[in-house]
Amino acid sequence: MKELLKVDNITTGYEDNKILTDISFSVNKGEFLGIIGKNGAGKSTLLKALRGFLPVKQGSIRLFDRELSEYQQWELAAKIAYLQQQIELTFDYTARDMVLAGRYPYMKWYEQPGEKDIEITEACMKYTGVLELADTPIRAMSGGQRQRVLLAKILAQQTPVLFLDEPAAGLDLFYQEEIFRFCQEMCSRGKTVIMVVHELNLAARYCSRVMLINNGNIIADDVPQSVLTDQLLTKAYGVDIRSLINPETGHADIFTVPTKLDANKQQLLDIIVGMDENGAEGNGES
Amino acid sequence: MRIYHLKLVITGLLTFLAIVICFSLSAGQYDLGFMQVVAWGFHQLGIPVLNDLSITPQQEAVLLYIRAPRTVVGLLVGAGLAASGAVLQGLFSNPLADPGIIGVSSGATLGAVTAICLGINAVSMFGLPLFAFVGAITAVSLTIGLSARNGRIPVLTLLLAGVVVGMLFSAVTAALLTVMDDHKVQQYLFWTIGSLDYRRWEHVLMGVVPISMGIIIMLLMARHLNILALGEAEAKAVGMPVAKYRLILLAVAALTTASSVCISGSIGFVGLIIPHMMRILVGPNHRHLLPASILAGAVFLVFCDSIGRTILTNTEINVGIMTAVLGTPYFLFLLRKHTDLQ
Repeated sequence: MKELLKVDNITTGYEDNKILTDISFSVNKGEFLGIIGKNGAGKSTLLKALRGFLPVKQGSIRLFDRELSEYQQWELAAKIAYLQQQIELTFDYTARDMVLAGRYPYMKWYEQPGEKDIEITEACMKYTGVLELADTPIRAMSGGQRQRVLLAKILAQQTPVLFLDEPAAGLDLFYQEEIFRFCQEMCSRGKTVIMVVHELNLAARYCSRVMLINNGNIIADDVPQSVLTDQLLTKAYGVDIRSLINPETGHADIFTVPTKLDANKQQLLDIIVGMDENGAEGNGES
Repeated sequence: MRIYHLKLVITGLLTFLAIVICFSLSAGQYDLGFMQVVAWGFHQLGIPVLNDLSITPQQEAVLLYIRAPRTVVGLLVGAGLAASGAVLQGLFSNPLADPGIIGVSSGATLGAVTAICLGINAVSMFGLPLFAFVGAITAVSLTIGLSARNGRIPVLTLLLAGVVVGMLFSAVTAALLTVMDDHKVQQYLFWTIGSLDYRRWEHVLMGVVPISMGIIIMLLMARHLNILALGEAEAKAVGMPVAKYRLILLAVAALTTASSVCISGSIGFVGLIIPHMMRILVGPNHRHLLPASILAGAVFLVFCDSIGRTILTNTEINVGIMTAVLGTPYFLFLLRKHTDLQ
């Protein structure tokens, strides 16, 4: 397999705040890599550093056997498409406007979108099922529709590598699974996907490889069944986690083990719900 | 939101433009009929219609040397201000931004006051516009200089810097006003209101090149503006060198506004409300919004000027007053609608 991205001993973060230290790994063509870990572990930071949005203080990132820092902005945008965690729009841009933005790296500054760009844009919208919504303002769409538009946009960018930062956040089960299935299809056609994931059950089913990050370090990086284990997940997430193979799917089902409320919490809860000392519910008239 | 077909809107605006131009050429103290102007226009194009409506040489002189330059200045300024407003609103991703926000107006005002204070406007008719232009460019450069850091121009810092620079320039203007003679203060007041009165072909010559160049560059950059308006992160993700394009667009909008302000005085509301209205009609895509705003800005300003000339029988109302009178109710409506949404 061809090595597409090689990360060697990098340290990165914001200003003086180092978030990731001494990270090394490489990604091959066609892989579907899920990056997991608890909130604040450094997953999105890693993705931003790999795309060149954050300064790398030490170490090197090589993409297609060339230093990331040697790429021009537009060259990088033609190699990696990036789906951000959230996007806030001020104006009522339509789906078509948004998807067309994906063609930006391929046009000279004075050029206007041509027939080819429009053809690609429409094919991408058709593929993700939003062609009927082409002239609908994105702000008027549901979360799922919006995400389909953004997927169409990163497809229109026609890059060999796709980065997705928590693309399934806030979506219902149907849309969540759709995104994973979509990425799997892309990988089977030779694209490489790196995705920050919170949906561990879906990662178990769809990702070809899972990387577990904790406190700015990689603590496991392997096929899903080797990473999504009770021991590793419990360590990384700080709660008791079980991973069982589901006989229906043949993949791991991951869930937390319920913990009993301690006495302190119990007392606080009594105050919050308004129970008096005798355990009777107060009605505010006594 | 309804997005009307662009061609329909552009055709409508072009029709309005033709009507408003004829209206502006016929409106005023000296008697000249609307249809006479229409007939004159056709005759100039070599189309022999409405032959019984020919105009006298005196009427033609008024039309050519008084009303035509005034109308052309109005068209240029209206188009320039509206285009700059649309660009700045896109650039700041803020629908309430206007050319005043980066310090252009306060800079131009200080320049104008300096010229009046030094008596330069009495020496040459080019003195005041030149000073106003230099003042505007100084203020904008200061705003950008204050907000640029490590090759980035953060939008919020730019907005704040614009406000602060505006305050500084206004303070200096106020200081100069306190030491100026009464008649000079009056000249200043006249300038701040913004007027198209007594505009000659010289004014057109001063503004035509920078304003049309600015408009052409803005039209060429419409696609980039669309990307910038999606937000900085999104623009970077598709490979745009954000700071570079932000700087280019800021500079072009500032130069266009400064050129407009220096030939017409300070005219508010055009840069704010026209892009807004057009966004409702044709949507936020700048490839549609800019052409529509340019046409609508030209129509609106010349219309306001013509109304200001005809509404009272023995005097004229400055175009700056008319745009504000027509613009304020709309602005308040927007503000209400904006707060309702929150």
